[in-house]
Amino acid sequence: MKQDSANRSAIAHKVGAIVASRGTGRDAVIPILQDIQQHYHYLPEEALEEVCRITAITPAQITGVATYYSSFRHEPAGKHTIRVCTGTACHVKGSGQVYEAFRREMKLEGTDNTDAVGIFTLEEVACLGCCTLAPVVKIDEVTYGHVKPENVGDILRDFLSRVKRSSDQPAKTGGNRGIIQGEIRIGLGSCCMASGSSEVKEELERTLAETSIHAEVRQVGCVGICNQVPILEIVKPGEPSAFYAHIRPEEVRQVVLNHFRPTTFHHRLKNRIDGILDEMLGNGAPPSFRRYLTEQRDTPLTRFLGPQLSIATECRGELKPCDIEAYRQSGGFEALEKALFHMTSYEVINEIRNSGLRGRGGAGFPTGIKWQLVKEQPSPLKYVICNGDEGDPGAFMDRMLLESYPFRIIEGMLIAGYATGASQGIFYIRAEYPLAVTRIREALQICEREGITGHNILSSSFSFNIRIFEGAGAFVCGEETALISSIEGRRGIPALRPPYPAVEGLYHKPTLINNTETLAVISRIIRYGADSFSSIGTTGSKGTKVFALAGKVKHGGLIEVPMGTTIHQIVMEIGGGIAGNRSFKAVQIGGPSGGCLPAVLSHLPIDYEALSEAGAMMGSGGMVVLDDTDCMVDLAWYFLSFTQDQSCGQCTFCRVGTRRMLDLLEKIRGGQGTNDDLVNLENLALAVRKGSFCGLGKTAPNPVLTTLRYFRHEYEAHLRGECPAGKCSLMITYAVTENCIGCTKCAQRCPSGAIAFKPYEIHHIDTEKCTRCDICRQVCPVQAVILK
Amino acid sequence: MKLTIDHITVTVSEGTTLMEAASLAGIAIPALCHLEGLKHHPSCMVCAVKDTGRDRILPSCSYPAEEGMQILTHSPELREFRREALELLLSDHVGDCDAPCQRACPAHMDIPAMNRFIAEGRFDEALQKVRETIALPLILSYICPAPCEKACHRGTIDQAVSICLLKRSTAHKEGQLRPVAIPVDPPSGKKVAVVGSGPAGLSAAFYLLKAGYQCHLFDQHSLAGGMLRHHVLREKLPVKVLDEEIGVIREMGAVFHLGEMVDKTAFHERLCRDFDAVILATGAVEEQILRDFGLETDEHGIKVSLANFGTKTPGVFACGNMIRKRQMAVRSVAQGKAAAISAIHFMRTGKTAGSHHPFNSTFGRLTKEEFYEYLGESSEILRIEPSRGVLTGFSEAEAIREAARCMDCNCRKPLSCKLRRYAGEYGAHQKHYSAPVRNQIKRIVQHELVVYEPEKCIRCGICVEISAREGEPFGLAYSGRGFSVRITTPFHQPLSQSLQKAALACVDACPTGALALKTLPGKNDKNAL
Repeated sequence: MKQDSANRSAIAHKVGAIVASRGTGRDAVIPILQDIQQHYHYLPEEALEEVCRITAITPAQITGVATYYSSFRHEPAGKHTIRVCTGTACHVKGSGQVYEAFRREMKLEGTDNTDAVGIFTLEEVACLGCCTLAPVVKIDEVTYGHVKPENVGDILRDFLSRVKRSSDQPAKTGGNRGIIQGEIRIGLGSCCMASGSSEVKEELERTLAETSIHAEVRQVGCVGICNQVPILEIVKPGEPSAFYAHIRPEEVRQVVLNHFRPTTFHHRLKNRIDGILDEMLGNGAPPSFRRYLTEQRDTPLTRFLGPQLSIATECRGELKPCDIEAYRQSGGFEALEKALFHMTSYEVINEIRNSGLRGRGGAGFPTGIKWQLVKEQPSPLKYVICNGDEGDPGAFMDRMLLESYPFRIIEGMLIAGYATGASQGIFYIRAEYPLAVTRIREALQICEREGITGHNILSSSFSFNIRIFEGAGAFVCGEETALISSIEGRRGIPALRPPYPAVEGLYHKPTLINNTETLAVISRIIRYGADSFSSIGTTGSKGTKVFALAGKVKHGGLIEVPMGTTIHQIVMEIGGGIAGNRSFKAVQIGGPSGGCLPAVLSHLPIDYEALSEAGAMMGSGGMVVLDDTDCMVDLAWYFLSFTQDQSCGQCTFCRVGTRRMLDLLEKIRGGQGTNDDLVNLENLALAVRKGSFCGLGKTAPNPVLTTLRYFRHEYEAHLRGECPAGKCSLMITYAVTENCIGCTKCAQRCPSGAIAFKPYEIHHIDTEKCTRCDICRQVCPVQAVILK
Repeated sequence: MKLTIDHITVTVSEGTTLMEAASLAGIAIPALCHLEGLKHHPSCMVCAVKDTGRDRILPSCSYPAEEGMQILTHSPELREFRREALELLLSDHVGDCDAPCQRACPAHMDIPAMNRFIAEGRFDEALQKVRETIALPLILSYICPAPCEKACHRGTIDQAVSICLLKRSTAHKEGQLRPVAIPVDPPSGKKVAVVGSGPAGLSAAFYLLKAGYQCHLFDQHSLAGGMLRHHVLREKLPVKVLDEEIGVIREMGAVFHLGEMVDKTAFHERLCRDFDAVILATGAVEEQILRDFGLETDEHGIKVSLANFGTKTPGVFACGNMIRKRQMAVRSVAQGKAAAISAIHFMRTGKTAGSHHPFNSTFGRLTKEEFYEYLGESSEILRIEPSRGVLTGFSEAEAIREAARCMDCNCRKPLSCKLRRYAGEYGAHQKHYSAPVRNQIKRIVQHELVVYEPEKCIRCGICVEISAREGEPFGLAYSGRGFSVRITTPFHQPLSQSLQKAALACVDACPTGALALKTLPGKNDKNAL
């Protein structure tokens, strides 16, 4: 009892401190809950009661909010959190089996998600935005890419050993600098970091310190070639840059010494590079040995970069994200100055309107018109919100832009604020993107110090303040009105429009909400004029579009292409075609709101209208390439299970309708479907599209409707009890062929005891016991395990 | 601003919702989640209307009228859309409208209400409740095979409530007729001939007399009772019992013409001419006789409309074994009442009525966990066997204890539930979209006034709004998101803490039976609204 009251007073003390920093208003509820969870790793009920006691937040409000957002936990968790990404790219590469493997490894039963000793808690997460490393697992801040079910034990052991090591201090860079001999660039996007670029950077700094080599280390944002990371680029005056892909920390010293020593070494190395270049890029599988690449004509690298055009991603791979000087040297803030000192707000709006820019968040509403509408509102207080709540599983453009070009987006927001007469800006950034939050926060501090934000910006009469709001895990908050609800401290539920946010938005004030990518191209349009933008693209879709290219292509990554580029060019040229000698089947564009287009439609251009007519959608730019091993019924089920899970639960058609659609799909996927089920599914899909209240529900049936449109035969096959792609685990069985050499690897690794241990004999899989985890097939050295 | 609603031009001020605009045009739009004076998110989508100009469906309860809009509120598309919305809601609505016993009873007797009256020792009111649907409760309590008891949810886990014997305890007190007056309407001045004095004919007569119609019963036998007297074993149904209950009907003013065979001539020359309506309830007869009466037949007997028991001759109705052989007596009793109601409707309006079958939500069998949840405030004891034998039946004390076993499975808002009402109006089928596994039923009875059944909730959130508006310290809250969202109490508070002031307002506003008053029809209604 005594301990209980001591505990309570400790909680009261902690909550008091949090509230003191976050405020007592109803709209402080999400930041307060985030801080409480940060401290306790979950939300103790006593803490929530204390919040209600000392703030204007009510028990009903805090209950509603805390249970709405998926990042909040209500039960004590283990010391470390394992988050298995279930994004599209991860799904098609087997994240479901990885998740099951963790459950087995951790001996979880029933609905448990924390192991018996309380070390690890297992969670599924919508998308970590590292799609090119799929399947991805993140344990606390450490990311593991290309995870296989058979490796999960090693991963847990590796993580625990890292934790043990973490007390070691990393080496510091030191010594006098002297004459700079060259520059070493290292990518620090999430993908790079996930694949170990920070370790590479540490090793690099240690090497330079120990050898007194005077090379400048520049941390740059995402280079875009995400499936080759970590990448080290060595730039020396008068020499072509040398790229090192998939570099490992232990290789760093050798590479540095080779470049910054007598040239004989360098030549030797360069010859070697040229010889193995093609082999390296020609194979999309993760490398088992070092591979290097350099700039040459007509290599896969030039094919990757060739059709691309960088506007939002201007200076890709050259800028250190939070280096304001580098940003200035590349033309940064010129547009802001031009707008503030040489243009009226109407001229700015006209420029944007004439550029033909349309919102990059999905729907494609003309940006200039939206700005105009906000400008026309007489209110003295207006808001600009950067919508960085990128939630599509399989999309990571916003993350990459926020992480790599924070100043560009800030500049875009400032120009938007100037044009619309707003004075307050908010970055709404998804909870799963901590690095983006860190970068923007750092960039904002720098801007404030430099007089680029705040009062009288650049000594003009324009004042604008920017803050960050971290999302709490709800896909639907990408919808403008739901996003506003969330900032105001409510459940992120879409509201009826009209009134539109441009007229009555955040705190009932006129509010401009633009997608991150939209804001990222603003400065370029102002700097070079509307024509520079409108001359690119198609009749209805101007400029460029950033895509997260992932799935079964050889070279996935973050790409930016002119509107009008065909799907074929993206998949076959930029992506280098399909990996692993499989055939190109379809491309999923626009995530859960988008659709699945078959390979025969790959002549279609990237264009808002063309994609809509085909049943897909530009969406926010996720592009997942599928091969002949992907099942379209499974894919429709996957997307629908995502939207169904993300439904806010307000309107009948979305809340219940998507659930019933999923029930039908599950039945079909399980081989239990009937013709009536297929008819019901299609009718219900049309009803959900017609009857849902917001965009999430209205577009949720798209993946089902497009796969029905283009791949109906696959549904029909499932009705007959066949999955043509061999993906639907309820319909497939594993078998061992005569090629089996009796090595027993499969029997040793089988987690369910379905394979008897019989050295030098052909093994046999007991279908009754088999859980379709796929490990036997992966470990078999002679491909003797097959799917039936 | 001006807009048209169903082609009617209306002028409204800015900010008027489409539903309000429609009501100015005299058009009512159905809605579940809408409550005047509350601002919340539209959710049920039953109030959908069509904006024909932009080809889109809008929630009329909150969408503001715009200049020049052309709105349709009723069309085949909207009817289909609303039905679909209702079917989706019903696929996630776990509860029975009527209790399974009541649904199983051919007479659709309100068994839970009878049980509640008995449990409170109010036998007179219990009998009145029984007689609303069953004219011969005493007789049936001896011979009814009691389909109600086979359907009883309690029977799934332990033993069904002894419904049939409880019914006897309402009609008989210590072996004597319970002296309860039967209220009779003022004389209508019209008279009806009922041919046959078996269960169907007696039942028809009972409800005709009760409604103020003179009633003449014709029977070829010298004693009334039809099959009850001639085909039921005496040891099963004592003669005394039969005579007692026929006596009730005689006392109500029935005129018996016993030993009078109604032949072709009598039917046409006397019955059809001298009476305002004729109800045929002779039991199974030869087809030739029916044809002589000029009536259509089918393989079962006389062909009638099952909606109103009318024959092809206006004003002539038929029921009982005459339309289908070897029916349960209770079914004949039910048909007798239905034929009487149709005849009354015919005499009042000159038309033959259609029938109205109310919608019924059902959930199937109760699981063991749910049984304990459902038991709620009911008695946990096992089924009571009458100490003086089945033929004698329960003592009043035994009846009271047995009736307390009833779990009140029926919805507490059978008439005011909007989901049920619109489901009936729009012809919704609950099983169109069915859940692979239905949700587990919960029933929270902790609050003094209110019963909360979360699985009946449609998540409209009206109660959340009301409890906030009334300044409840805890109130009700949404919990979770998407399909799994529920309305709960914050911080695991008991419902009594959450609803200290707003309970009655929430019950009143709840569009379904999720939040309902504990006091049931039949109990002391002092807390009723």
